Amino acid sequence: MSSLPALLVAAPLLGSVLALLAGLVRSETGWPVALVTAAVQVAGAGVLASRAFDGTVSYVVGGFTAPFGIELVVDGLSATIALLVAVVSLAVLAYSRVAGPRTNAFYAVYLLLVAGLTGMSITGDVFNMYVFLEITGLAAYALVASGEGGRSARAALKYLIVGTVGASLFLLGIGYAFVATGTLNMADLSTQLAAVGYTEPLVQAAFALLVVGLFVKVAVFPLHAWQPDAYAGSPDSVSALISALVSTVAAYALIRIVFTVFTVDFLQANPVARSLLVAGAIVSIVFGSVLAVSQTEIKRMLAYSSVSQFGLVVGAVAVANETALIGATVHLVGHAVMKGGLFLTAGLIATATGAQTVDDYEGLIQRLPLGAGAFGLLALAMVGVPPAVGFVGKWYIALGAVEAAAWPLAVVILLSTLLTLAYFARILERMFFRDASGERVAVDGVSPGMTGVVVAAALAAVVLGMLAFEYGQLLEPTVQALLS
Amino acid sequence: MSDSERRVARGGPYVGSPIIMATVRVVMPFVFTFGLFVMFHGADSSGGGFQGGVIVGTVVLMLGIAFGIETTRDWIGTRLPVALIGLGMLAFLFTGIGSVLLGAGFLEYAVYGDLGIPHASKYGIEFVELAIGLIVAGIVTGLFFAIAAGTKGGESA
Repeated sequence: MSSLPALLVAAPLLGSVLALLAGLVRSETGWPVALVTAAVQVAGAGVLASRAFDGTVSYVVGGFTAPFGIELVVDGLSATIALLVAVVSLAVLAYSRVAGPRTNAFYAVYLLLVAGLTGMSITGDVFNMYVFLEITGLAAYALVASGEGGRSARAALKYLIVGTVGASLFLLGIGYAFVATGTLNMADLSTQLAAVGYTEPLVQAAFALLVVGLFVKVAVFPLHAWQPDAYAGSPDSVSALISALVSTVAAYALIRIVFTVFTVDFLQANPVARSLLVAGAIVSIVFGSVLAVSQTEIKRMLAYSSVSQFGLVVGAVAVANETALIGATVHLVGHAVMKGGLFLTAGLIATATGAQTVDDYEGLIQRLPLGAGAFGLLALAMVGVPPAVGFVGKWYIALGAVEAAAWPLAVVILLSTLLTLAYFARILERMFFRDASGERVAVDGVSPGMTGVVVAAALAAVVLGMLAFEYGQLLEPTVQALLS
Repeated sequence: MSDSERRVARGGPYVGSPIIMATVRVVMPFVFTFGLFVMFHGADSSGGGFQGGVIVGTVVLMLGIAFGIETTRDWIGTRLPVALIGLGMLAFLFTGIGSVLLGAGFLEYAVYGDLGIPHASKYGIEFVELAIGLIVAGIVTGLFFAIAAGTKGGESA
C-alpha cells in the first residue's frame, strides 16, 4: 500500500482509541488491544524498512504538495528507528502483561507514545516533528506518573517542567528558522538556509535553540536532571520503554536536524556550532559515568549510564563523517536493546528477590542465576566487549573520530569504555564473586513473558553485534546522502 | 465574610446561589451554540475545533460551578468524556483511512467528492474540525472532573 507511512502513525493512534473505548466496556482489556496493535506495527515497519533500504520513500499527507503540505520521508535511518520503536514496544508488552500497570488508560497512553515516536522518526517537516515531539513528551510524562505513590508523580512533574522547557526551545528554534526562510519542510529548509547564509545570526540562533532543545530531550549533561528521577521513579516496564526509545528518538531527531536541515556545510562554516556538540558529548560521557559510579540504586545507576552513552552519540554527530554516523545509528539501536534489557532485568530481579540497590546484588548468581546471567551479559555488552553490539557502535564512533583527527573526542570515547566498566564492574563483582548476605527474601510473581523478554534482550545484544557490520554496509548509501 | 463564603473559599461543600444558577441556565445554550459556531468556522475563516471544543467544554464547567461538581458528575457520568474523546479520534482516523480506502492518500479529502459530496475538501476539513472539537470538549470536561476529585483519588479518564 502506498499510504503505508501515514498508516504507520495512524495504526497506534487507532489502537490507543480502541484501548480507551474497550475500557468503557470492561476494565483491564487494554493489553490484548495493545498486543495486536504492536504486532501490526512491527509488520508495517518491517515492510516499510525493506522498501526504504531500496530507495527513500516519501509521502505527502492529504495531497497538499511539499513544501507547503506535510511530507513524510523514510530513508534507511528513519526506517531503522521506526522498526526499533515497533519491536521494542512489542517486547516490553510481553513484560508488562503480568508486571505492568494494567489499566486501559495505561495502554492507551502506551500506544500514543508509540504513535508519537513513529511520527517523529518518519516526518520530513520540522513543525510536524515538534508536534510529534510534544505527543511523545506528554505520553511519556503520563506513563512516568502511572506508578504508584508520590515518587513517580514527583518525577513526572519534574519531567513535565524540564521537558516542556526543552520542547519550547525547539519550537523557538523552528520559529527562527521559519522567520529566516519562510518554510518548514526539511529538504526545502536545507536549501533555503544555505541561500540565507550559514553565518547569519538568525540561522545560528535557530541552530543553537534547536540543538539545545533536543539536548534536553536526549538528556545530555547538564540538561539531564529530569532523567534519573523519571527512569527510577516509574514502573519497570515504563522505565524500560522510555529509556530504550524516548531519548533514542530524540537523538535521531538531533541527527536529522543537524544533517538534513543544517547540513555539514553549516558545521564547517560555524566552528562554534561543532564545539557546542563536542562539549556536550565530552561533558556527558565523563560526568554521566562519574555520577553512575556514585549511585547506590540500580535503576538510577542505569539512568546515569544513559547520559554517558548518549554522549557518545552526540560525539558522533560532532565528528560528522560516514563512519561515525554509522556508529551512531548502530549505537542507538544497540543502546536501546541493551538499556531496555537492563531495565527489564533489573525489574525482574527486583520482582523475584526484592533487590534494588547495588549492595542487594551480592551473590545474586546463587539466588537467581538467570537474572544475574542476563544482567551480566547485557552489562558486558554495554561496556563494549566484542562481539556484542555495544562494541560495534563504539568501534565505529571511535574510528570515525580518529579518521576526522578529532583527538580530544577520540580519547574520551576510548576512555568511556573504561568508565562504563567502572560502574558495571562494581555490580558484576558483587553478583558473581561474593556470597549472598542476609536471608533470602522470597518474593514471587515472575511470569514466563518477563523471563522470555529478558533472555531475548540478552541474546539480541550479542546477535545484533554479529549482524552490525553488515547493517553498517547497508546503511552506507543513507549516510552518504545525509552527509552530501 | 460569612461562614458559608469561608467554606467555599477553602474548597468546602458546595453552596447554591440562585443568581448564578439562573444566569447559567440562560447563558448555557448561547455558549454551546457559540462553541459550535466557532467549530464550523475552522475551514475557511478564523475559528476551529480546538477553540470551539474548549468553549463547549466550558458549558460543563459552568454547570459544575453553578449546580455543584458532584451533582454534575453524577448527571454526566464518568464515561461520557472518555466516549467523546474516543468518538472524536475514531471520526478523525476514519476520515483519513477512508480516503485511503477510496484509492487516494491519507486525509486526501478531495476524493470524497466522488461519493457525491459537494466541496469535499472543505467539508472534509469541517468534519475533522468537529471531531477535534469533540476530543477537546471531552478532555476539558474529563480534566475538570479529575482535578475537582483532587486527592480523593477519583479516576475519570
